[in-house]
Amino acid sequence: MNRLGAPLRGVLPFVALVAAWTLVTQTGLVSALFLPPPVDVARTAWELARDGSLWINILASLGRVLLGVAASVPLGVGLGVAVALNRRLAPVVEPIVSFFNALSGIAWLPLAITWFGLGWTSVTFIMFNTIFFLVFFNTLVGVRTVPRIFENAVRTMGGSRRHVIFQVLIPGALPSIVTGLRMSIGFGWRALIAAEMIATSTGLGFLIYNAANFHQSDTILVGILTIGLLWLTTDRLVLQPLERRTIERWGLVSTVEP
Amino acid sequence: MPAKIALAGLGHEYVNPFTRERVLALDGLGLEVADGEFLTVVGPSGCGKTTLLNILAGLIVPTRGAVLVDGRPVTGPGRDRGVVFQEFAILPWRTVERNIAHGLEIQGVPRAERAAVVRRFVELIGLTGFEKKYPHELSGGMRQRVAVARTLAANPEVMLMDEPFASVDAQTRITLQEELNAIAQATRKTILFVTHNVEEAVFLGDRCCVLSRRPGRVKALVPVDIPRARRTWTLFTSDPAFSATKDRVLRLVREEVGGEEAER
Amino acid sequence: MTLRWEVVATWLALLAAATAAWGVAAATLPLPDYYLPPPTAVLATLGDLIAKGILPTYVAESLRRILQAAVLGLAVGVPAGLLLGMSRRAAEFFYPLLNFFQSVSGIAWLPLMLVWFGFGERTILIAVNYTVLFPVIFNALLGVRSVPRLYVDALRTLGASRWRIARDVLVPGALPSIVTGMRLGLAYGWRALIAAEMLVGAHGLGFMIFNAQNFHLTARIMLGMGIIGVLWVVLDYFLLRPLEEATIARWGIVQR
Repeated sequence: MNRLGAPLRGVLPFVALVAAWTLVTQTGLVSALFLPPPVDVARTAWELARDGSLWINILASLGRVLLGVAASVPLGVGLGVAVALNRRLAPVVEPIVSFFNALSGIAWLPLAITWFGLGWTSVTFIMFNTIFFLVFFNTLVGVRTVPRIFENAVRTMGGSRRHVIFQVLIPGALPSIVTGLRMSIGFGWRALIAAEMIATSTGLGFLIYNAANFHQSDTILVGILTIGLLWLTTDRLVLQPLERRTIERWGLVSTVEP
Repeated sequence: MPAKIALAGLGHEYVNPFTRERVLALDGLGLEVADGEFLTVVGPSGCGKTTLLNILAGLIVPTRGAVLVDGRPVTGPGRDRGVVFQEFAILPWRTVERNIAHGLEIQGVPRAERAAVVRRFVELIGLTGFEKKYPHELSGGMRQRVAVARTLAANPEVMLMDEPFASVDAQTRITLQEELNAIAQATRKTILFVTHNVEEAVFLGDRCCVLSRRPGRVKALVPVDIPRARRTWTLFTSDPAFSATKDRVLRLVREEVGGEEAER
Repeated sequence: MTLRWEVVATWLALLAAATAAWGVAAATLPLPDYYLPPPTAVLATLGDLIAKGILPTYVAESLRRILQAAVLGLAVGVPAGLLLGMSRRAAEFFYPLLNFFQSVSGIAWLPLMLVWFGFGERTILIAVNYTVLFPVIFNALLGVRSVPRLYVDALRTLGASRWRIARDVLVPGALPSIVTGMRLGLAYGWRALIAAEMLVGAHGLGFMIFNAQNFHLTARIMLGMGIIGVLWVVLDYFLLRPLEEATIARWGIVQR
């Protein structure tokens, strides 16, 4: 069994799942209206891919994520470092940011719609809130928990404030920052799907919610699979290795899942 | 010749920000260290040795007294006073060679020159082959070697060492002490070495400064008259002159510890 | 977290300043009334909704749903994850599946649930419970797998049975992971709940703020947001985080 290799072992459970799924629909245990068989779903996926609607929606969703990340991360890291440097300001700001962090992205939606109406702006606003506060918080905490001794070491070598910030504080905070990045994109992706159901007419969230109105279960399932696959690949192939490499390089114990 | 390091009437008081409690760590401490001298500082726990070192390093501003290095007052940390800390203060996210090069990097030394210096020091501390390793891949002794090399490579006027071998195992400690001895001989740097280990203090120092218990003052300055070139651990354990000095310092320290206990 | 009175004083000062700035902005900015209601309006809404009994009901509903998901996660998710983790074969088989299903949040399943069950309590509960359950199972599984082999072997040399090993080594060893899983599951779950309540209706805080938007009751939206945030902070900071820290402090961090 071991010689079949890891990729195969990764695929096997899904093969089993699809087999079970086919069986359930074949035997009529569940009506095709509720749970279309895999073949139907595959066919619909193919059609959606062919007429381009799948790609448009994928691009819309991904685009919003990227926009959110681009807007929030530099600001979050920058502010996090700036506030962390101010020893009096930091303990005050921390709980405030923590609170806004707790205010889940989707809870901003009604306010966003009030201010910006439906569409891209509202959704991006939500992405921004979801990602920004978490990255800000993690950067703040990360910088504050860099052991003082590293700063002292650089200062006793004649290092300036700039040296301390860029050679000690930011690298030292990096594991925390990257973890924050990963978690916030996770939250952001979920908030996005929900927001797209309510506030836009493009994107994967919209795709599946709209399909529900027409009872198009197969389209819904295509959407769900796409959502899962996109997050899975982004998280496991990009974000998690990044997080793990950062942490392990620093010699810290990695609590990131393998 | 003016002293390299001159301390006069040095006093320092800590105030606990939570309880407002005041602790006098140093009181009227006066000391002079000559250029090229290796001065070890010993004393009972809590006598203020680390405070003294931190003040010299410029990390703490003393509440009283004057601190002069090369005749100039100390106003903050700087590359003229290199510090080897007790805990591993080499950056975990830099390789051995990048850590050693760090001081030079800060000074703006060009890359080619840096590389040459680093190579020399890597060899000096016996870590050839480990240049690209990260600190977490090294043993405690190796990490401290890197810390010493980092400070040395930056070529400070004065080296301040705060119990650098305290967290290293006994075997490695002896090796590191002998290595440091050789380096001191070769470079003739002014070194101020703080330790709670009397044997280490006597083995390494040209003079041994014994501090009193808190608040710290200079209790005694004990010269160690064995030529540096002859100092080895075997000699240390066998030579009567060495032993006599060691006993003397030990007695002086014990007095302070005993006095402390008598007070309680 | 030590609460120094200087920090508290600074918070209060900042809070006062922010509220004052808000009030000024609300009064002076050339925006329609419903854009930025003054702080007084939000307070008034608070009083109003409590008096009418609406707010307590909505809060109770949302809390009921999330707590019920927490209980399910604990009662079902943790044992499931532990059992799966104990068998290497099972763990390897289910790991990719759990990974995938965790990546699809409950909200993504909502449309399908709407087709199956329509707009109602059941739909919300399924979405939220799903969202909480998977991270819990996943982390419990990981927790068991991460217990160092050394501890298991040590107990085996003492002649312990499989059951004994599970009880004395695997469960305590997995505890930090389990708590982390609960925290993560509830974090996702709380957010999914708000979203589900918005989409499905059936009362709750999510519904309250979403509905309020339809009537431009912005003060109500802000109030709702504040309560949502405070509830989570209370839940996370005073319940979950201390639990996590106590577990980790007691057992030490399980290392790989």
